Amino acid sequence: MSTESKAANNPLGLLFASLLLRVWLGVRAVQTGIEKFAGKVMSESPVKIDGEAYDADLTEAASSKGYSLENYHGIPEAMNTTFSEEPLMMGWALKIYDVVLGPALIILGLTILLGVASRVSLFLLGLVYVSLTWGLILIKQDAGIAWLGIHMALIAMALSWANHNRFCLLKKW
Amino acid sequence: MKRREFLSKGSTIAGAGLVLGAPSILKAANKGGDKINVALIGMGKQGQVLFRAMSNIPGLHFQAVCDIWDYNRRGAAGKVRSLQGHVPNRYTDIDELLEKEKDLDVAIVATPDFWHSPHTVKCLDAGLHVYCEKMMSNTLDGARAMVHAMERNKKLCQIGHQRRSNPRYRYTLDHLINNNNICGTIVNINGQWNRAVKSSQDIQYKKSLAIDQAVLDKYGFKDMHQFMNWRFYRDLSGGPISDLGAHQIDVFNWFLGCRPKSVFASGGNDFFKTREHFDNVMAIFEYDAPQGPVRAFYQVLTTTSAGGGFYESFMGTDGTINTSEMSSSSAIYRESTAPEWDDLVKRGYLDKKAAPPKPKSTDGIASYESAAPEEFAIPGVLNKPPHQPHLENFFAAVRGEATLNCDARHAFESEAPIFWVNPSALQKQPIVFTPEQLQV
Repeated sequence: MSTESKAANNPLGLLFASLLLRVWLGVRAVQTGIEKFAGKVMSESPVKIDGEAYDADLTEAASSKGYSLENYHGIPEAMNTTFSEEPLMMGWALKIYDVVLGPALIILGLTILLGVASRVSLFLLGLVYVSLTWGLILIKQDAGIAWLGIHMALIAMALSWANHNRFCLLKKW
Repeated sequence: MKRREFLSKGSTIAGAGLVLGAPSILKAANKGGDKINVALIGMGKQGQVLFRAMSNIPGLHFQAVCDIWDYNRRGAAGKVRSLQGHVPNRYTDIDELLEKEKDLDVAIVATPDFWHSPHTVKCLDAGLHVYCEKMMSNTLDGARAMVHAMERNKKLCQIGHQRRSNPRYRYTLDHLINNNNICGTIVNINGQWNRAVKSSQDIQYKKSLAIDQAVLDKYGFKDMHQFMNWRFYRDLSGGPISDLGAHQIDVFNWFLGCRPKSVFASGGNDFFKTREHFDNVMAIFEYDAPQGPVRAFYQVLTTTSAGGGFYESFMGTDGTINTSEMSSSSAIYRESTAPEWDDLVKRGYLDKKAAPPKPKSTDGIASYESAAPEEFAIPGVLNKPPHQPHLENFFAAVRGEATLNCDARHAFESEAPIFWVNPSALQKQPIVFTPEQLQV
C-alpha cells in the first residue's frame, strides 16, 4: 500500500498532526517575536530589619521581567556589534532587519496560528529562518544553524501536510 | 531602633563621633521648612560634586557663588540657572560676598584645603552655618581655629566626612558591630585607597582659560599649574593621606569610638619624583580601644588601582566587616568558630552569599589553612549620591530638625592624628601622641 493511500486511511491522525505542527510553529514564532520586547524592570524597596523599614535611603533593588516598546531589540545588542564587523553584512540592511524581525515573527506566527494563507505564511517564515541561518553562518554559530535546520524541516513538513489543514480563516494560498 | 529614631536621639557614640569632646552646637534653633539661602564657596571639582548632591534637596536657594576662576564661576551660575531659573550673584572674593549678601543662611565651602579654615572662620564670624569639605585644614592650627569659630559664634559647622551620614555605615556600626557584635573582639583594622597612575596625573587646563597671575598671587598660588594641582603641595594640602586617607581613618576612629595612641608611617616619592607630597604612604595606628588593643594599617597608593580599590576592613575574632562607599567592595565574613548567624539572616540583618569553594584535597598547602569563612553582605545600597545624606543632615540641622553627624569639634578629634602621618613618614619615626598634639 502506498504512503498516500495509507494517509488517506488515517485522516484524523493527519488532521491532528498538521494542526499540532501549525500551533507549534505559530507559537514559536509569536513568542519569539514578543520576547524581543522583553526587558528588566528594576524596582527598589527599603531594607527591612525585623520586618520594619530601616531607612528610606537604604534600599534593595529587585528586577522583574517586563515588556515595552522601549525594550525592543530585533537583534540582540551583542550580536548586532558582531554583525556590524562582518564585511558581507551591509549596515543599512542590518538596521532594517533589526526593525522588521520582531514584528515579522509575530505577524507570521499569528497568520499560521489562525490559518491565514498558511502556505504563503509558512514559506515566508521559512525565508526568515533562512536569513537567520545566513547570519549565523557569518559568525560561525554552528549550534544555532543546526537548530534552525530543525525548524526548516518542520516547516517543510507543515507545507507537505497543508492539504490536511482545517480550522483556517483563509484557506487559499 | 530605626535610623530616624536613632538620629533624633543623637546621643550615642555613633551620633557624636568620638566620645572625647563635649557636644558643641549640633542643631540650630528651629528654622522650620523655610527656604535656606546658600552661598557656594569654591565651585571646582568637589564643589560641583556637592552641588549635584544638593540639587536633589528641596528648599535650597543658591543665592551666591564665589570662585577665583571665572571658568568655575560661569559654570556654576549656569548650573544654578538651569536648576532654579535664576542667575546667582557671582564673586571672586569671599570678603566682598559676605559684605554684600546680607540674607544668607549657609555657606558650602569646597575651596582648596589651605583655604578651608580662613573661609570657614569668615563665614561663621559672618553668622552663617557652614558645611566644609574635609580635610578641615592643611594645618592643625587651622582646624583648631574652625572649632573655636564654630563655638564662639554658636553656629553649625559640619565637616564633609560623608560616610558618617551614609546609612550603610551607620547600619554597620549600630546594628552589626554594636548591637549584634558580629565581629566579636575587633583586633585589627585594615584600610586602603589604591588609585591608578592614570587617575593620579597632573590636571591640565586650557591656556586660554588661565587665571590672571595677579589674582593667583593674591590667593596664594604661584602659577596656574599649582592652582589646578594644589593637592601636590605641602603648603596647600596634606597630600594623598589627607585627600583620600582622611575619610577612611575617620571611619576607623568613629567605629572604635576613640583615637589612636600612636602612628608609625612610611612614605616616599616612589613614582611621581617631583611632587612635594609622598605618592605612596603606609601607616600603622595603635589604639587602646574600650574593647582592648587594636592595630590599624592604612595605605594610600597613587600608582595602582589593584588590590581592591578603596575599603575599610574591621577584623574581629568572630567576623570581619569590609565597608566601602562602593557596595560591591563591601563584604562580611564569619569565622568558622563563631556563633551561627542564620537568625540574623532570617531577620534581615545580613544577606548570605554563596558558599566558597572547598580547597582541593590535592593542594598540600590547603591543609595548613583555616577553614574558608562564610561570606555575607550588608543588606541594601545607598540609593542617592554618596554626599547627599550628609548634606541632608546638615540642612536638617539648620532647620532644627536633626543634630549634626560630624560637627567641627568631633571632626577635629578624629582628624588630628592624621596630621601626624606625614611627619612620622618624614622623620621615619613612630609618634606617640601627647594630649597637646591632639587637643583643640
